[in-house]
Amino acid sequence: MTPIISARGLTKKYGRTLAVDHIDLDIPPGRIVGLIGPNGAGKTSALKAILGLATFDGELTVLGKNPSRDRAALMEDVCFIADVAVLPRWIRVWQLIDVTEKLHSGFSRETCMEYLAQTKITMDQRVKQLSKGMVAQLHLALVMAIDVKLLVLDEPTLGLDILYRKQFYSSLLNDYFDEQRTIVITTHQVEEVEHILTDLIFIQDGKIALQSTMEEVELRYVELMVHSEMAEEARKLNPLYERELFGRHIFLYENVERERLAELGEIHTPSVADLFVATMKRGDA
Amino acid sequence: MNRLIALIRREYWENKGAFRTTPLVIGGIYIAFLLMSIFTTAHFDNEMYTFKEVIRMLAQQPVEFRALHGHEVMLGSSLFFTVVLAFVVFFYLLGALYDDRKDRSILFWKSLPASDTLTIASKLLAAMVLAPLMFWVVFVLTQILMAAIASVMVLSVGENPWTLFLSVVNPLKAWAMLLVSYLAASIWFLPMYSWLLLVSSFAPRIPLLFAILPPVVFAILQIWITFLETFTLNTSLFGLVGDWVANSPAILTAQVHDGQGTLALGVPSTGVFDHAVTLANILDRLFSLQMLAGLGVSAVFLAGALWLRHRATES
Repeated sequence: MTPIISARGLTKKYGRTLAVDHIDLDIPPGRIVGLIGPNGAGKTSALKAILGLATFDGELTVLGKNPSRDRAALMEDVCFIADVAVLPRWIRVWQLIDVTEKLHSGFSRETCMEYLAQTKITMDQRVKQLSKGMVAQLHLALVMAIDVKLLVLDEPTLGLDILYRKQFYSSLLNDYFDEQRTIVITTHQVEEVEHILTDLIFIQDGKIALQSTMEEVELRYVELMVHSEMAEEARKLNPLYERELFGRHIFLYENVERERLAELGEIHTPSVADLFVATMKRGDA
Repeated sequence: MNRLIALIRREYWENKGAFRTTPLVIGGIYIAFLLMSIFTTAHFDNEMYTFKEVIRMLAQQPVEFRALHGHEVMLGSSLFFTVVLAFVVFFYLLGALYDDRKDRSILFWKSLPASDTLTIASKLLAAMVLAPLMFWVVFVLTQILMAAIASVMVLSVGENPWTLFLSVVNPLKAWAMLLVSYLAASIWFLPMYSWLLLVSSFAPRIPLLFAILPPVVFAILQIWITFLETFTLNTSLFGLVGDWVANSPAILTAQVHDGQGTLALGVPSTGVFDHAVTLANILDRLFSLQMLAGLGVSAVFLAGALWLRHRATES
């Protein structure tokens, strides 16, 4: 299967700083990829290159196109929310829908109206009259109504309350996502997306610190919780990371036999957040 | 094409105040002044005696005289519209590629499948065609309303507006001439428009400063260097821009032509072009060497604006 996004040595420099440092990447169709990294890791720089919003060095093709050169053509099949609250403040809701419909052949007005019906937004309101959360709702309604092959969401739910966030992710998974579509999400609220992700990419200092499918994560990583008397024993097995919780020690291991670990204490699959923290700590060391 | 129209409509929505409300307000001012002068006349003029005399004197003038002066008055009253239109277009272009960078909505616009070229084209066309067209339409409507009010006035003193001026002055001639001069001026001022778009695409803040300061500094340096070299105060960018306005096909001033005061294209201070308001003189400007050079300069500025627009989301 030809990948939706394919990068070889993708690099982005700002002056002498390397924001993205020779990244190789293949994202096949039909995946929901979580792009996760600390602030300033290069997530947004990488996404900007992918979306044709910034120039880059190295090779990068998105849906077979060079994003920097063919942005307009690429946007026929790609949609993104690059940042919250970037909708023009002067525009009225009906005008926004109208202009999107005229410019985007894949836009469905009915779908958009269905999503908007679940909000308090009315057609004649200007964006500047809407609250931050409502602007995000409006933007998501627009984006979810566009039929594209790749959807990129950079912190899509910032400013939304928890009810709407849950609802959004569930409709993203149930109504929007299918095997033809690929979704790339970056967010700081990892716990909210981890159950819908199929793939995980950690970025640190402009490099990929981890790239794996969720199934692989479950096979490869295991978390062990032990009482303090067993801690010394557990440390001998080369954990990636160790932390303490209520007097118990929690270790994270990569590729260690589960049977052996089970003898020492409770084992389970680590959360993405814990795996992330462990990976970042290792990268810093 | 549909996309271009959608983008131009977007420009209209965003700039309704400038493109629609502004000419309507000017039209309203015209009507208000007309009504005020009618009430003033009615207030001081005993039984409208003087007014009747004026109308009678006017009616005795030969038809050609009334036709000519009627035409001039109609065209001449566009001046205020024209000047305000120039300001509207100036500030519209200055913000055209700046405002969405400032409020970051450029990230939304760039998520739609419209190329940067198409976006800039829509903004240029809004400035060159949409804005003048809106002002022109409101101007025509204002004149129709004013003619109606004047007719009622003339009727009220027992004279016939039809024979006095309605059948004498051909309004279409004046309106068509104004529209042609507006559109011709749009082409003529393309170098300035392109400069404003370039600045709008470039300025990190205060585009007005970036639009005005570099040409002024350049012109002052030019004058100074010429002064040092030749000890004379000679040509400069000021002179060039001044001549450009003076030679423009916009109806801006009046001149004495064949012993008679008439309206003029641009400012009749230069001798390169004939300043009489005729279609031939307008076309003469559009097919001149100056225009060709201006188009060349415009192309460079627009290419720069496009290049910067492509990189506007870089950081």
